[in-house]
Parts: sequence; C-alpha cells; structure tokens
Amino acid sequence: MRAEYLLLLAACLVITLPLEFVLGARVYRRPRRLTLAVLPVLVVFYLWDAIAIARGHWDYHPGRTSGVILPGAMPLEELAFFIVIPLCGLLTYEAVGNVLRNSRARRTRARAVGERHA
Amino acid sequence: MPEYTIATLVAVVVVVVVELRWARTGIFATAQYWLAMAIVFAFQVIVDGWLTRLPDAIVRYAPQHFLGVRFPLNIPVEDFGFGFALVTATIIAWKVAERREPVS
Repeated sequence: MRAEYLLLLAACLVITLPLEFVLGARVYRRPRRLTLAVLPVLVVFYLWDAIAIARGHWDYHPGRTSGVILPGAMPLEELAFFIVIPLCGLLTYEAVGNVLRNSRARRTRARAVGERHA
Repeated sequence: MPEYTIATLVAVVVVVVVELRWARTGIFATAQYWLAMAIVFAFQVIVDGWLTRLPDAIVRYAPQHFLGVRFPLNIPVEDFGFGFALVTATIIAWKVAERREPVS
C-alpha cells in the first residue's frame, strides 16, 4: 500500500495527541517555539538523509511509499518523518515533565498535611 | 567502519558536545529527559520495527553501509543513534527557544 509510511506517521500524531490535550504538554500551542525547535534540526537531518540516499546507504520500497519525491531524491515521507518524530519527542518530554511536577507537588502537599497533623 | 555507523557516531557526539559546550540546557541531568527518552525508544522499536520489517521493508539498508547488527526486530542498531540525535537535538533546540520566548 503506497500510503503505508504516511499512515504510520499519521498514527504517531494521533497516538500522541492526548499528551497535548490531556497531559497539558502545550507544544502545539506554542507554534513559534515549536518552529524554532523543529526547523533547524529538520534542515540538518534532511541534508544527512539526502547524502545517505545519494551514497546508497538506504532506499525506500517504491510500492510502500507515496512516490512523491522531493529535492535530494527524498520521498515526501522522510520530510514528514523529520517533523512528526521530533514533535512526538517534544510532546513526550513536556508530558513527562508535567507528570513529574504534579507528583512532586502532590508529595509535598501530602508531607505538609502530615506535618500539620503530627 | 561502515559509513552509516560513522555518521551515527558523529551525530551523537555532535549533539552531546553542542549541549555541553554551547546550549547548556542541563537536560542530561534531569529525570524528565531520560524518562522521556526511554519512552521515545520504546515507541521507536514499534515504528522503526514496522519500517524495517521483512519481507519488503519500507526502508532498505545497504549491507555494506552499516554494521549488519539488527536488534531488536530487524532494526539496524545505528537507527537508535540516529533517533537519539534527532530527538535530543530537538529537545535542546526547544529549551534554547524557551529562553527567547516573550514572557507571557
């Protein structure tokens, strides 16, 4: 199926969406900062990928990719990969941060309550 | 050493040096970063495992350009260096960008 790789990346976005809206990651809601984080890394990894393709390090199954080819002989999917995966990484990082902060705050509160009752 | 192996090692070293010498976000000293990376790696095994699953993998690696060690599943070990560099660089850039955010 030619949409397979794109669907896999779409699934990554769907699965990580609750990190933004349930765990309060606030990554999508900071678009300027998100762009500043993703864009420079994307440029470097796009270049790496283009060089790796040119040198024959890897290639892509024509029947399982869209067939849309970007500069550097790169499938559209690879560009999408360099946006989606870093985005999922940031959502994970921010969500973990919130969970850790919340559990620390709960522990501090519990200790304060315990001391008051001691 | 195969080229993809070298490229991966260089990428990991560059990211670590950028953090320690220039960005100094301090992420390597936080549980938040290492926990997030553990989760990212777990999901990398699923996604990367899908991309490299035989027969007819979506991404096909030239045997002469990587070590030939595929673990876990059919994933070239180099991919984990690639993933580490990609996600860590993004988190560093995210922290650096935070300093430049207008105070809201």
